[in-house]
Amino acid sequence: MSDRPIRLTRRKLLIASGAAAVAAACGPAATPSPSASSAATASAAATAGKALKIGQLLPFTKVYAELGNSMKRSTDLYLKQKGNKLANRPVTVIYEDEANDPTVGAQKTQKFIEQDNVDVMMGIVATPIAYAVRNAIDSAKMIFIETNAGGNALTRDIANCTPACKSKYIFRSSFSSWQISSPIGDYFATKRGVKEAFTFVADYGFGTESAADFTNAFTKGGGKVTGSLKAPLGTADFLPFVTQLKNQPTKDIYSFFSGTDAINYIKAWNQLGMPAAGYKMNGAGFLTEQDVLKEVKEQAVGAVTSLFWAVTLDNAENKAFVDAYQKEYNLLPDVFAVQAWDGITAVDLALQATKGDTSNKDAFIAALEGVKFKSPRGDFEFDKTTHNPIQDMYIREVKVQNGAAVNTIVDKIARVTDPGKPTT
Amino acid sequence: MTPEVAVQQALNGISFGALLFILAAGLSLIFGMMDVVNLAHGAFYMLGAYVALAVVQRTGQFWLALIVAPLAVGALGLVLEPLLLRRLRGRHLDQVLLTIGLSLVIVDVIGLVAGREIRSLPFPAGLDRSVPVLGGDYPVYRLFVIGFGILLAALFSYVHRRSQLGALIRAGVDDAPMLAALGVDIDRVFAATFGVGAALAAIAGVVAAPVFGVFPGMDVDALIYSLIVVVVGGLGTLSGAMAGGMLVGPADTFGKVLFPQFALALIFAIVAFVLLLRPTGLLGRVRITR
Repeated sequence: MSDRPIRLTRRKLLIASGAAAVAAACGPAATPSPSASSAATASAAATAGKALKIGQLLPFTKVYAELGNSMKRSTDLYLKQKGNKLANRPVTVIYEDEANDPTVGAQKTQKFIEQDNVDVMMGIVATPIAYAVRNAIDSAKMIFIETNAGGNALTRDIANCTPACKSKYIFRSSFSSWQISSPIGDYFATKRGVKEAFTFVADYGFGTESAADFTNAFTKGGGKVTGSLKAPLGTADFLPFVTQLKNQPTKDIYSFFSGTDAINYIKAWNQLGMPAAGYKMNGAGFLTEQDVLKEVKEQAVGAVTSLFWAVTLDNAENKAFVDAYQKEYNLLPDVFAVQAWDGITAVDLALQATKGDTSNKDAFIAALEGVKFKSPRGDFEFDKTTHNPIQDMYIREVKVQNGAAVNTIVDKIARVTDPGKPTT
Repeated sequence: MTPEVAVQQALNGISFGALLFILAAGLSLIFGMMDVVNLAHGAFYMLGAYVALAVVQRTGQFWLALIVAPLAVGALGLVLEPLLLRRLRGRHLDQVLLTIGLSLVIVDVIGLVAGREIRSLPFPAGLDRSVPVLGGDYPVYRLFVIGFGILLAALFSYVHRRSQLGALIRAGVDDAPMLAALGVDIDRVFAATFGVGAALAAIAGVVAAPVFGVFPGMDVDALIYSLIVVVVGGLGTLSGAMAGGMLVGPADTFGKVLFPQFALALIFAIVAFVLLLRPTGLLGRVRITR
């Protein structure tokens, strides 16, 4: 290589700074500018009529970008339906990109706290980011509705609060990983009479947590976990792992994978002829959610998973939600859209209870704790002690209906409540 | 591990290695010829996969995609070299920055046009099953990947050793200014090299898409793997890409199965070890810096 020094000429500097400006302009352009006129009229009105600022911290770039987009669509739809007013307060949503990076997430959270002074913060897809900003949120006494990350610790009593623990100011409208992993372990052992299972999960905090919760419940129900295997997150090639699965005798495989990993896993599973060899794929619901199912289609048939929602769920709220979402965006909503929908619904109902007042934090927290509503997923309420939702878990099986592979509900476990402390 | 499982895992490793070879070949070719570390390689790979996805969605033809994608991406490379890279010839750092910039632009344009959802390419009809191999079932598509890798390697070494184009490439790798002095239009050779390198990345993108999936971020994974392969095998030679693929593929597979906690560390341990013993890579050539 030549060791010629980099010369910075004025022309280069201009080009470089021009490029930087373009890059900045092209960055996540999701931030809607607050409407100046509505803010002006609002400040003239009574305090309760003051503009409500919601800070949404979502991924708009990198691997989880589509999750962020889905949650944004859902939030926008809700506000549109309400005429952009919650409890008579005009709403300004400030979107920021967490870029799936805890450092960026922490900076943006700080921005919400210090610069934007938001009334409520929502969002965060990845658990490490949620854990990273937990203390900042707690000490700033900012209300935060977690709309995805399922790490158990965020709504539990944890010794020394490491890696995280529950906070009076933090609510969760999604799920804890215990909720989607433990009930299905019990279900397989007690209701389906499965004697032995093998766990195969993504090798990161959430996958490990899911395998442990499944194993505990399955063992308590009288089953035996004969072995476990872990694949690194973002494993490109799943064939070596599926080869290992096929060369051990336990037929029921409990898996935790999502997104691309789930697609590659299910395809490798079929390529090796696992269904014909009698192996059964089970797992936490993300294994066969829509993003995965629309790519693998019939290859996922027979997979039994647990989740708190399915697009096919038969209730009036879900039908209305799916219809409205489809009409607005010409797309089927996914589970992430439901989580964001329930998050903003809870905020709306709590605001109505306080007559739009967010200045009294304790009153607003009490209002959120008292929120109860019919969500697209069924009955929704927060557990008062943990702020994690109390919700029904559906056991779903992938079946072909009208030529399309869909999750059909085969059973329901009612009012699943996170234990709120570490289980053994 | 029983012998049957060992055989199957060896096949898994070899087919992964064959994919890595196809992936790294283009990067190695461009570096050997043009002395450019093309960090847009992963973006070309991704673009190839997305073009294939578009073709398969419209026509259902995997094999058509395998022809169209490299042609389209190769044409892009052919245009980009004279348009951008040529202006920075000999300025290595500037070229590296340029190719990073290119990859960002390509990836974002793909996101705008194709969306940011995760996708997957179905296996081509007929190759979506398993056949019995040495006492176990083995997926046909993986056998195809191994065969395709061997075919490509054979084609490369034939072109490299026997054809006039190969002679040009060998001369160009040795001493491009001298080649120009002898009357060869080096600008055209460089543009063609960059085009072929991009097309190779696209071929890898198409062949890998049914196995690895098609999603935002796939460019980075591919770039890292191809850099590992060329560093281990030796930059700038096709035999180096083959050697790198054949070492890293099986090592990665057996590493994941035998020591899952250390699989990634194992790969980088190999990189470090090879670099200690042979700083130019297994089959790398000593370059004379001018």
